Amino acid sequence: MTASGVSAATRRPATSLLRKAVHGTLLYQLLTFAVFATAWEVYGRYWGGILLPPFSDTAVATVELLGEAELWKALWLSNQALVLGFLASVVLGVPAGLLLGRFRTVERYTDIYLSILLVTPMAAVIPLLVMSVGFGLLSRVILVTLFSVVMVIVNARAGIRQIDASLIEMSRTYGASEAQIWRRILIPGALPAIMTGVRLALGRAVTGMVIVELLMVSVGFGGLILEYRALFEAPKLYATIVIILAEALALIAAARWVERKATPWAAPRNSSRSTRD
Amino acid sequence: MIEIRGVTKTFTGREGSEVHALKDVNLTVGDNEFLTVLGPSGCGKTTLLRAIAGLIDWDEGDIVVDGEPVRRPGPDRAMVFQNFALLPWATVLDNVAFGLELRGESRAARHAKARELIELIGLGGFESRLPGELSGGMQQRVGLARALAVEPNVLLMDEPFGALDEQTRRILQEELLSIWERRRLTVVFITHSMEEAVLLGDRVVLMSPRPGRIAEIVPIGIPRPRSADVGGLEQSPEFTAITSRLWQSLRTMHPDHRTAARAAAAQEVTG
Repeated sequence: MTASGVSAATRRPATSLLRKAVHGTLLYQLLTFAVFATAWEVYGRYWGGILLPPFSDTAVATVELLGEAELWKALWLSNQALVLGFLASVVLGVPAGLLLGRFRTVERYTDIYLSILLVTPMAAVIPLLVMSVGFGLLSRVILVTLFSVVMVIVNARAGIRQIDASLIEMSRTYGASEAQIWRRILIPGALPAIMTGVRLALGRAVTGMVIVELLMVSVGFGGLILEYRALFEAPKLYATIVIILAEALALIAAARWVERKATPWAAPRNSSRSTRD
Repeated sequence: MIEIRGVTKTFTGREGSEVHALKDVNLTVGDNEFLTVLGPSGCGKTTLLRAIAGLIDWDEGDIVVDGEPVRRPGPDRAMVFQNFALLPWATVLDNVAFGLELRGESRAARHAKARELIELIGLGGFESRLPGELSGGMQQRVGLARALAVEPNVLLMDEPFGALDEQTRRILQEELLSIWERRRLTVVFITHSMEEAVLLGDRVVLMSPRPGRIAEIVPIGIPRPRSADVGGLEQSPEFTAITSRLWQSLRTMHPDHRTAARAAAAQEVTG
């Protein structure tokens, strides 16, 4: 029993990875990427001119840029606002969303502000921010938070709402206090939705980070983009965008991984492309 | 012992219309009695159970369990739910131990107790599974074990096998009978199945809708233990006599029955 058990356990990850590659989306993603890169290359070579460098030039520029101190300085600077702003939106957004989900009266008073936060073009807030807190790190952090906090709130609220009411009733029959209901039912029950909100918020935070640097304080990645635009260095401009994209995708993949690890019971529902069969 | 005296409960609908879920319900459930409550949907049977559990308030009357008036849920009563109500993120072991955990029992004590009950309900080896990995019948076994783990005097079961397929339901009925025959306790069991009500109960309480009240109480004289030969029992003339008598009463209450429909229409005109 032990021998077969061990071999099954060691074999499984390899086969499932292979299966994932074949049945899953990886193969298709590589294929579409190849088509996209070829089209970019051809267009860039013949019609791109100074505005659109070919794919190969962009790739070379990306590698070059990764070797320059300027990039790493920009990365460090930008990510300060990203990390602080994102953490603030999680720390503020999760409790806010949970309370809104649990207590309808709180929601009745605040729903309109949430809607405002959801639909306001955040770029319009930038001048106001600059006037009140200046060009420093703080205003960048605030903007990143404004961009991302809504996702956290809305999803945490939805997480509480979709909890099966009979679980709360069940815990009441065993004499659960409100604190116990929170700790043992509401928070674990809302966790999958909270994690989804956190992942979506991460994407919005990256957007906020770049927008604030482009429109308000030209530092970090945004500063690099503006600089390369001024110098008409299109390959490096594109390379910067590629690096921002790469960072965003890596962060979201990491968030997805944490999401799966933290809420294994919700795995089939959470990932729409489940490979379970 | 459960004493229910003159309990009345009225819900107010959205348009201000009043629904009499319970009207002047009087009932006494003896110690270690297995009482089944049967009735069509809307007869207030679940409302009655939730009132005994202390989950809802009622308008008039008293409910007293072992001399104590019911105000809120208490450790003397445990409930088994139709949709199982298991924590999807907790293992079978933690689900069974949940009631004990809420009461502040130590991890070791509650896990030892939970393991014992998992054996009793025949889920040994499944302790570390999640509910989503179990079949419906196994999930309800977990629900039953969780209720038994807190050692209640009264077990309240709200159509516990209603969400299961026919075969699973039969197996769990047998299982419940054999557990109850070994460790006696007072059971109030809600069902809409006549066969289930007769098979399990010492008495069947027949409730009728609009307003929800007790129409009839039928003692079931079939000797116990019944778990040994459930199939044979259901073929016995005694069993079929009782179910056909219950059916005579039930069919006139059914909303599709002519006189019931006429009665409801008449009530609307006068009321």
